[in-house]
Amino acid sequence: MESISPFVSTSPAVRYAPPWQDLSIIGIAGSSGSGKTSVAMEIVKSLNLPWVVILVMDSFYKTLSSEEHHKAHANEYDFDCPDSIDFDLLVQTLRDLKKGKKANIPVYSFADHQRQSTTTTLYSPRVIILEGILALHDPRIVEMLDVKIFVEADMDVCLGRRVLRDVRERGRDIEGIIKQWFAFVKPSYTRYVEPQRPISDIIIPRGIENKTAIDMVVKHIQRKLQDKSDKHTEELNKLGLIAAKVELPSNVHVLPATPQLIGMNTILQNPATEQEDFIFYFDRLASILIEKYDFHTPELYIILTNTVARALDMTLYVSANVETPQGNPYMGLHPKGTVSAVAILRGGSCIETALKRSIPDCVTGRVLIQTNECSGEPELHYLKLPPQLEEHATVILMDSQMSSGGAALMAVRVLLDHGVKQDRIVFVTCAAGELGLKRLTAVFPEIHVIVGRIEEEGEPRWIEKRYFGC
Amino acid sequence: MASKPESAPSPAQGVGPMYRPDGEKPTATVSKAVSYENVHVLPQTPQLIALLTMIRDKRTARADFIFYSNRIIRLLVEEGLNHLPVVEQSVTTPVGRAYLGVKFEGKICGVSIMRAGEAMEQGLRDCCRSVRIGKILIQRDEETCMPKLFYDKLPADITERWVLLLDPMFATGGSATLAVETLKERGVPEHRILFLNLIASPSGVAEFAERFPKLRVVTAFVDQGLDEKKYIIPGLGDFGDRYYTLAFSMGAVTDHLDIEFPPYKSPG
Repeated sequence: MESISPFVSTSPAVRYAPPWQDLSIIGIAGSSGSGKTSVAMEIVKSLNLPWVVILVMDSFYKTLSSEEHHKAHANEYDFDCPDSIDFDLLVQTLRDLKKGKKANIPVYSFADHQRQSTTTTLYSPRVIILEGILALHDPRIVEMLDVKIFVEADMDVCLGRRVLRDVRERGRDIEGIIKQWFAFVKPSYTRYVEPQRPISDIIIPRGIENKTAIDMVVKHIQRKLQDKSDKHTEELNKLGLIAAKVELPSNVHVLPATPQLIGMNTILQNPATEQEDFIFYFDRLASILIEKYDFHTPELYIILTNTVARALDMTLYVSANVETPQGNPYMGLHPKGTVSAVAILRGGSCIETALKRSIPDCVTGRVLIQTNECSGEPELHYLKLPPQLEEHATVILMDSQMSSGGAALMAVRVLLDHGVKQDRIVFVTCAAGELGLKRLTAVFPEIHVIVGRIEEEGEPRWIEKRYFGC
Repeated sequence: MASKPESAPSPAQGVGPMYRPDGEKPTATVSKAVSYENVHVLPQTPQLIALLTMIRDKRTARADFIFYSNRIIRLLVEEGLNHLPVVEQSVTTPVGRAYLGVKFEGKICGVSIMRAGEAMEQGLRDCCRSVRIGKILIQRDEETCMPKLFYDKLPADITERWVLLLDPMFATGGSATLAVETLKERGVPEHRILFLNLIASPSGVAEFAERFPKLRVVTAFVDQGLDEKKYIIPGLGDFGDRYYTLAFSMGAVTDHLDIEFPPYKSPG
């Protein structure tokens, strides 16, 4: 029994899986010019959700050598055979996304026939539509696909479309296009593309014109998304039940209820308070949250030492010997490392004024998480994080109010997915429900939480409405 | 005696949580402990020490000096305000729940001892919007070498208010003593005066606490002591100069603003 650590044996694994960890991938293959892109775009347009994205396989073309590059310009390079695609990278990218990690998608330049140095970041989609002539080619990818779609069209139509597209959008000449068609595209169709047809789940003839088929796919995805939402909501509820049984842990710090603090909370909660006064007192209260209870307070220090990374928190302050203007020595402290912040929008941006009072140049990221009014499920709509966030000594995560903790769970998860360590995250909120706090810390036991006031369970968000006046 | 240089150094200790082994805490000099009930020293958090380190450092430029001292001043004001009375007040919140809270009771005003005390007005206003601020100018009388009241402008209803007396450096406490005497003469009861300062000398604090037992002192740090010229050591130089005029702070202080008041003799 000694080999099993007590931590593992006694505590149930409390985990939070964000909805994007359960990613669905839909593969759309078909001949060049068959209308794959249009079908994919039509599906995305019909769904109109930020977490349904198209991943174009063209992005994964291999960079050409100078010889190949030369061939490509002479329309003698075969872009339609599997060798031209970096399948290994594509597989890795999809696997990362499946795990809920962020992925860097290469940017391919058709003009230079090579990968650009920049990449685009893809993070947190719930559904990816992988579109490319060989989307169903690699068995490693096929294995990951939820739905396999094959789009087909008459070859004459395909050629016609290809000519129009390449002339209009890629600035090519007709002769070259025809040459490439017969040398590579058509043979490749027979050899690689067509064989994908039998393994597909759905065959969409006539591409974009086939409204019935597209509608069917859209409905399927909608069902999938609903399942994911239900599962996510259910899991959040389950976490709440687990959390209800435990005590509020020591890494949750509630501001001591001094007369001034209670007084400010009274003014803030009084609907008769003018908005101008509300803003003033909110900023003052939030300043105390930030100033007294950011990473640097001894109270918080106590929490830090509880966590694994003792060596890291030592880097927060270092002894410093300075000389006063009279020439006297003083042994003090200097802070070390960057402190940055991430606001959970919209509520978290209320705390920014207070934050900038203490750290005027604080690097600040933003993440928009909205709670779906129908399902009560938090949804990640927008994300902009500072670069090198993972290197910062402290990341202050801000929200004006926290009830169930769904948005906070998701936001912490986002930070972790971007390489921030748990014990570097300080979640700051002006008011929070106890159940939400337990839920948050049960899942992420090493983060630090600073709360202005414990509020009743199920409190709807109202602070941000008062602060912004709408 | 306040005129004798105090040489006992302030304690140096690891700063951080109590249970953490000393070897794992960064070491820093912290405030001397004071035993007077009416003297409140801010908790010696690593954050406060780091802020004080910034303003003590002679290399700190004026903009940073202003910024970091304002942060400490806000902490002092917040601590000071907690000594003001409140009365119960219950409100119905925007979501219709009852919250039993409190209402701030008693009007306040600030009184700054010119010029360094005026540097604390911004921090006060950050916490108390549209607060009334009176001013007192105290200078050394060239003939008697005693502190002398040169000017004062105080709110007319000051007797009904709580007074936050502002002066950043509390050395011998000569100016502050005269300021308190002035306030008392105007009818402000001693117990309604809070004296906020950043750095105090042990002798200044002790004498003041005995002279005005009902008045409350809130300070960020009780320093090692005074040198033979009555400067606080280690101190931070001339607060007023560093806040208002010095382009960059290098070298020794040329001006000494704190004025010694006759030693207090306890009655009887």
